[in-house]
Amino acid sequence: MREHIQACKVHSHPGVVFFHFELLSRLASSEPEVKLRALREVKNQIIGNRTKKLSFLKLGAVPAVAGILADSADGVIDKNNCNNNINNILVQSAAALGSFACGFDAGVQAVLDAGAFPNLLRLLANSNEKVVDAGARALRMIYQSKLAPKYDLLQQKNMDFLISVLNSENENVSGLGASIITHSCQTSLEQKALLDAGILEKLVSLLEGGSLSQRDASLESLATIFRNNSEVVSKFVGPEIGRSLSSVIDLAKDRHPRTRLLACMCLIVIRNTSPQLLQNIGIKTKLIHILLELLDDPGQVGDEAPFALSSLIAQKEDLQKLALEANAIDKLQYHLQRGLLHPRRHEGILLALADMCSKLESCRSKFLSLQALNLVADALTNDSADIRTAACTCLKSITRSIKNLSAGYFMNEMIVIPLVQLFLDPSTSVQVAALGALSNIVVDFTTRKSIFVQCGGIRQLVQLARSMEPAVRSNALWALKNFVFLADNRLKEGVFSELTASLLSSLICDPEPSVQEQALALVRNLVDGCMNSVEFVFADDGLILGAVGRQLQRASKPEIGIQGMYALCNVASGNEFHKEAVMHQLFPQMVDKNQSFMIKFLQSNESQLRTAAVWTIVNLTCPSSPGAYGRLVKLRNAGIISQIKKLENDPCVDVKLRAKTVQGHSEAFGVQPLLEHQTS
Amino acid sequence: MPVRVAENSVPSQVSGTNSEHTSPPACTLLSVGQAFSGTQNVSSLQKEEAWRVNVRIQGCDLEHGYLCGTMEALNVPMADTPVVTFWEGEIVDTKNYTFNTGKWEATPDDDKRHWMKFQCFEPLLSQVEVDGGKSLNLSNYPYIFMRWKEQYFVNVGTDCGLTIAGFYYVCFSCSDGSINGYYYDPNSSPFQKLELKSTNEGRSGFSFSSYELQ
Repeated sequence: MREHIQACKVHSHPGVVFFHFELLSRLASSEPEVKLRALREVKNQIIGNRTKKLSFLKLGAVPAVAGILADSADGVIDKNNCNNNINNILVQSAAALGSFACGFDAGVQAVLDAGAFPNLLRLLANSNEKVVDAGARALRMIYQSKLAPKYDLLQQKNMDFLISVLNSENENVSGLGASIITHSCQTSLEQKALLDAGILEKLVSLLEGGSLSQRDASLESLATIFRNNSEVVSKFVGPEIGRSLSSVIDLAKDRHPRTRLLACMCLIVIRNTSPQLLQNIGIKTKLIHILLELLDDPGQVGDEAPFALSSLIAQKEDLQKLALEANAIDKLQYHLQRGLLHPRRHEGILLALADMCSKLESCRSKFLSLQALNLVADALTNDSADIRTAACTCLKSITRSIKNLSAGYFMNEMIVIPLVQLFLDPSTSVQVAALGALSNIVVDFTTRKSIFVQCGGIRQLVQLARSMEPAVRSNALWALKNFVFLADNRLKEGVFSELTASLLSSLICDPEPSVQEQALALVRNLVDGCMNSVEFVFADDGLILGAVGRQLQRASKPEIGIQGMYALCNVASGNEFHKEAVMHQLFPQMVDKNQSFMIKFLQSNESQLRTAAVWTIVNLTCPSSPGAYGRLVKLRNAGIISQIKKLENDPCVDVKLRAKTVQGHSEAFGVQPLLEHQTS
Repeated sequence: MPVRVAENSVPSQVSGTNSEHTSPPACTLLSVGQAFSGTQNVSSLQKEEAWRVNVRIQGCDLEHGYLCGTMEALNVPMADTPVVTFWEGEIVDTKNYTFNTGKWEATPDDDKRHWMKFQCFEPLLSQVEVDGGKSLNLSNYPYIFMRWKEQYFVNVGTDCGLTIAGFYYVCFSCSDGSINGYYYDPNSSPFQKLELKSTNEGRSGFSFSSYELQ
């Protein structure tokens, strides 16, 4: 619902404040006529004028108006509605409070703080239709805000109230009921309670026979009740409620843009909740076309349209493909390059582009062919944190193009420098998103990683690896891991000297599992490549290698085991000393074989973990290395070789083949696996 | 190196249309970062010639049957430096790609003549002739068939006197990481053979690094 805006101008003259004071003093008049005129005047002054709302707010106008409402509401009861002035005062005070609340959270807060909410509710029971309508309008304004009070829909008295307002003939009252649902319904229990109370039928009747505002409110509520609740959706599309789904589909073609948008959003929620529904390619294409068309709307509808498009296409390749064919990327890019966008729209367009480019290379190619990358780079320095986050998210999708990463296309100053600057952003979500995009960009196969190094990127990443926020630590390590992937030893040394063995080993043992995983993956990449790289884990008396072994012993997730095991595998591909050091981690003090993480990993349900474990044994038992025989015997005695023998028929081809390799090594030395009862 | 089919691993035919578990197996030796080296025989009727070749896998997206990397050709006549190209690969996974190329000037007959060069292709031939191999279950087959197409020169200009107009029919062995391939370009010498082996950069074993895109 939009506030009905009357002609108004922003006043800046100093005398204005005095004028406002004078107006407020008239509100306190004991003369009903004077009070009424003052209320009208306040309402007319603030309608659609944020500056004036704020100015009156500061002068304490809201408690004053709320006080008049409270006194008059009591008066109504006392005098049994015989005074026409009182009704007019109620109407005007409710309207003024509604205006304060409309599209202005500070206003909503002030109205709530002044205790006006229960008195506005009382107006709904008034015998005068105009008073009821004014109360409902004001409450609907409040219910546009997130600050509005939530109704506990599991309480019967609240549900009874909701049914009574939805049954009202007055469209603002029934619309208020729908708004309360949209605002209050959050859990599947509440969705179920609304379903059981027959609310779905009420909303459908508003959808089919209601006014424009009732239809819109009903569409919004329906989407809220459907979200992630397939039971409610199946009831809606089932035979009992009839042709309601086709009513929503029809409304997606309504002549009012807002109705079209809300109908699309409702259909998208239905589809995302019950993926078997609305699979018809015609409907999918239609939704995409309608939403792209709605982007042209200059107002709030156009601002919200890209968000709806995002929720339609996110994670769905088929829809991304259809959207590409419908020229979605061209259209989004067209709007993006027009500049001076409303912040909400700017954010939405970037997020829609991010979803478009998240999976398909054809979409990324299209985006890059439009030379739109600089528009996203510009948004990295926008004043709004939401836009900066969205720009990073968009970059993250685009930089998934391995073809362009390989060409070093993204490793340039236009992108890397502002991204690195965002590492220091006050908003954690911006930091995390910037690290995400950068993690992709540093997977650069050319020699241009230097741009990142020169702008101090490594030092900053290491700094962020010490952050108090687990998501920041994890993403910083992720970026470092990608950075050292196939990097030459000089770059790895640069990273290592900033990071230090002690910090890296403490990150391996971080309380957060995702941080442990990334730290171990970083170690894995550090020790890959030329033989010298293996030495990194032996710095400071093998601090890092010891941490890897300890973490593997208590790995809480397979992902941690996989990365740690590959780190050991890579060390085990080194020289004799390296291999023996790995053996020492496998058997710290020759613990009970049942406690050996190696046995546990070989028995894991996760094929990648079994693969990594067997590769480590392949490396430890290479017949060409002098100590292989001794290690084979030790591994056999620990029951590891017989465990590997069981993997020769593993369902995973990779595991099966490597298990055969280990068996080949055993046979080359004539080392037979021990039977179960022979193992020590 | 000639490749031999293990007796117990002849691919079966799948019934129905569910191809979720019929794609070739994920293989660590064909993962990102892995390196290979060997030769490409470019002999013509006039003279015997072979270039040393290094390959590095840079990207792998099994869900889309996609693989990419670089190919470095050394001792190339006329070139002062090794010539590096970037290539993109189609994995024959019966979901995204079949044995039928259907582009790059390759006819079904060209496909057959080239795939047949790989001994491990023979058990698949009859089904491939029926439907391009769409109904084959390759999930337990220890060989992965691919087409590699060079996309651009990384370190030299297009005026280097070399062409990347053709593409490679490739067969990868999961067991030892060896790669065999045949270059196909109607305008170049036929059946130029690519032979590569998994390399370990002087290590006594296998090392695996990895990156993840967010």
